[in-house]
Amino acid sequence: MVEKKYDLLQRRCPRLGGPITFQYCRETGEGGLPCWKVVDCWWEYFDVLSVLKENLPAEKFNRILTASPKPKITSLIELAQAAKKRCES
Amino acid sequence: MEVRKVLLTEDEMPRQWYNILADIKMNPPLGPDGNPVGPEMLAPVFPMNLIEQEVSSERWIDIPEEVLSVLSIWRPSPLTRAISLEQALDTPARIYFKNECVSPPGSHKPNTAVAQAYYNKAFGIKRMTTETGAGQWGSALSFACSQFGVECKIFMVRVSFDQKPYRKSMMEAWGGQCVASPSPETKAGQDILSQDPDSPGSLGIAISEAIEAAVSDKTGKTRYSLGSVLNHVVLHQTIIGLEAKKQLEKIGEYPDVIIGCAGGGSNFAGIAFPFVYDKINGKEIEIYPVEPAACPTMTKAPFVYDHGDTAGYTPLLPMYSLGHKFMPPPIHAGGLRYHGMAPTVSQLAAEGIIEPKAVSQNPAYEAGITFARTEGIIPAPETTHALACVIEEAKKAKEEGKEKVILFNWSGHGLLDLAAYDKYFACELEDCVLSDKEISEAEKVFEKFPKPEKLSSRPR
Repeated sequence: MVEKKYDLLQRRCPRLGGPITFQYCRETGEGGLPCWKVVDCWWEYFDVLSVLKENLPAEKFNRILTASPKPKITSLIELAQAAKKRCES
Repeated sequence: MEVRKVLLTEDEMPRQWYNILADIKMNPPLGPDGNPVGPEMLAPVFPMNLIEQEVSSERWIDIPEEVLSVLSIWRPSPLTRAISLEQALDTPARIYFKNECVSPPGSHKPNTAVAQAYYNKAFGIKRMTTETGAGQWGSALSFACSQFGVECKIFMVRVSFDQKPYRKSMMEAWGGQCVASPSPETKAGQDILSQDPDSPGSLGIAISEAIEAAVSDKTGKTRYSLGSVLNHVVLHQTIIGLEAKKQLEKIGEYPDVIIGCAGGGSNFAGIAFPFVYDKINGKEIEIYPVEPAACPTMTKAPFVYDHGDTAGYTPLLPMYSLGHKFMPPPIHAGGLRYHGMAPTVSQLAAEGIIEPKAVSQNPAYEAGITFARTEGIIPAPETTHALACVIEEAKKAKEEGKEKVILFNWSGHGLLDLAAYDKYFACELEDCVLSDKEISEAEKVFEKFPKPEKLSSRPR
């Protein structure tokens, strides 16, 4: 359980352009992971790595640590393929 | 009276975009199978004429007359000398900015939106889809589609949709249809809503919805559009820098320093890339993309001896530090921080041709207010980061006694972001939320380290 004092913290999201809470960042990434920028955005505010480590399963925490977003083109192709599959099923 | 604005006539607008891919080496993007992406893989997403631009290595690409005609609604944008700011700072620097606020949606975004709407129309596309976060891109595409009679559908991340209702109004005024994402209109959205009807959404979900809406159209007349990062987007934005070059030439100036804020990289690239071309060919220019930083480490942290790495292998160095546990993890530091940015911008940073800077939010807003009270325009929050860097460079010029020419891109106005200014005025923006207790806890790691002597290189 992440302490409220962290979850309620707010900052401007560089991707969305508006204020969001830490709770939003840790809940809205792909596949139930935190946003891939969560460490980048929060490390200067508090010890975000320790908070995530305490609250995520080891496998998920390691995925965040090694987060390396795919090139945009690659992810667009993957999203298009996934969308086609969804619509065919 | 001193001349503030350098104007070009519509006849003087650049007739070609500059493609930096002709001048830098890039690794090819790889598809999900690990092989280089072929144009056909992108065909369900983008029209082929834009895919050709995405992969082109031609240095100069003609701007179609139809695109120029729509751009001329507000272009050429003025190059303005920030005389009042120069006076306020008492700097010998001459500061110029490209005013991209003058576009109908109020930012640089329509430079590519107009081109993309045109190429989609020319390819026979009837409907374009996209996602938007803050709403700048959605409103730019909605405006552009209205100019070419193309339908526009925008999936706006729910949390932003609720925070910025006037962006939706703008999109709808131009005929676009803006829905909150996740929406019940796509399977991707339905899946999320079935699990969490109150989902605040995310950019990832909104992109999935926009792409699904494009590729699921059985008529094949719908395509997706992206407002940043990709090569063709950056290409279209170079009109900013190309105009600036002509305007500076008119008054016999050339920049020593170029500054732009960098989110996805397109507005920075737009002003900088035509000058990067000069730098590659021998010109001496400092080029700074500026990104947001969270914490002004220099002001909040103590000056101590600390290790430069979390494991403590490097020698003890004197530095401003909150303790090495607060060092950024290596994967998120330096160039890798630029993962979400245009690959061309990342490549130039990696090669040292451009030098990234970071500014935290309170100094950024402070700079925004200084500009608003001197030059009159209220800047968009992201633009304020560039402004903070401009002020820093202008002060440096004063310290050095140098008449530097500083050029920057005023990428957008902040008239729909006034809530952020309210927070700044109410002192509700915290750069760093570490309490004094937490800081003193962090400082315990220095207890056994020697203390650096506070030296002064200046005569007292």
